[in-house]
Amino acid sequence: MSSDFSRRQRFEAIAAEVYDPLQRYLRRRASPDDAGDLLGDVLLTIWRRVDDVPGESPLPWCYSVARRTLSNHRRGIRRRLRLVERLESEPPSALLLDPAKALEDDELAAALSTLPAADQEIIRLWAWEQLEPREIAEILGSTANAVSLRLSRAKKKLSESMSRQNPPESGHKGDRHAEEQRR
Amino acid sequence: MTDELRERLARLDPMHSEVPTESVTTPSSRQLLEDIMSTPVTEQPETGPTPKKSRWLLGVAAAAALVVAVGGALALSDGGSADPTVVAGPPLELNAGANDSMAMCIVFDVEFLRPMPLAFEGTVTEVEGDTVTLTADHWFKGGDASQVVINAPQGLEALIDSFPLELGEQYLITATDGNVNYCGFSGPSTPELRSAFEEAFGS
Repeated sequence: MSSDFSRRQRFEAIAAEVYDPLQRYLRRRASPDDAGDLLGDVLLTIWRRVDDVPGESPLPWCYSVARRTLSNHRRGIRRRLRLVERLESEPPSALLLDPAKALEDDELAAALSTLPAADQEIIRLWAWEQLEPREIAEILGSTANAVSLRLSRAKKKLSESMSRQNPPESGHKGDRHAEEQRR
Repeated sequence: MTDELRERLARLDPMHSEVPTESVTTPSSRQLLEDIMSTPVTEQPETGPTPKKSRWLLGVAAAAALVVAVGGALALSDGGSADPTVVAGPPLELNAGANDSMAMCIVFDVEFLRPMPLAFEGTVTEVEGDTVTLTADHWFKGGDASQVVINAPQGLEALIDSFPLELGEQYLITATDGNVNYCGFSGPSTPELRSAFEEAFGS
């Protein structure tokens, strides 16, 4: 175990590196209030496990802690929602994608929201956290090859979903009905 | 196409790089970090909570420190390995010290169980004074010692989520970074807990 001084030094260095990206990660996926509390939880885990944090590239490891912490938090939310019988009326993806709804690229956001939650998350890790498959694999406990495959499939589904919303031959929403008829 | 898609998706990011975050150097950030660094590091499961979170259940368990057995059954690294390596030989020795009776627990979840580096199922074969000996019936992860000894100088009642270790009973135990994990991450062998261990570690 590290001495107290070296543990603090190590933690301070890690915190300086991951403080901003962890805030962004959590605020993309939780309310601002919850994100603040969750940040404390994640940092506390990092503090307690500072000897386990990879030296060269600590961020994916820290994201994986954040992911588990967030997952636990969401389960708590869902339990509370069930208690008041509201869960059925709230699609899971609404919780995940609410921040995106306010932004301008509604079609893409809408298409993304049609994907399964796991596909949405892998897309977000790729496009929002700007991670590569090997880093995503570290977070998800998977392999780079498997992540590459899943990411490729998720992107394909996303493209298909966008095509359904906005057929390429016209680009007009008025043709959507005809497109749906063809399918 | 891929780069274009990534760029378009990035524009949906509600926390894109121009959205400010709190700097690690602000007084409130510094306070948060100082609070965290004043937190003991030896008595929690690895995804430990912050004290202010209401969802954390107050645990009555004592911390249990995993120490190197006589003869070196457990090789704990000093500087960063996540997985201590246990070699066959003398029994593991666990010291259970009731040094934090106010420790808090996270809600049990297989996801938290999975990365724990040491997990086994064992049966209590001897209770003598402050020491309990278990035979390791099955190692799920992290070792193959045939016996594990737990020393609990301040009372076994406080050990592992407030249940005692009783002669002849079987328990599922995990440990992380030298600490036995309590708060539901170790406990009597029930079908539910065994199923969780099998899901987390494989059978």
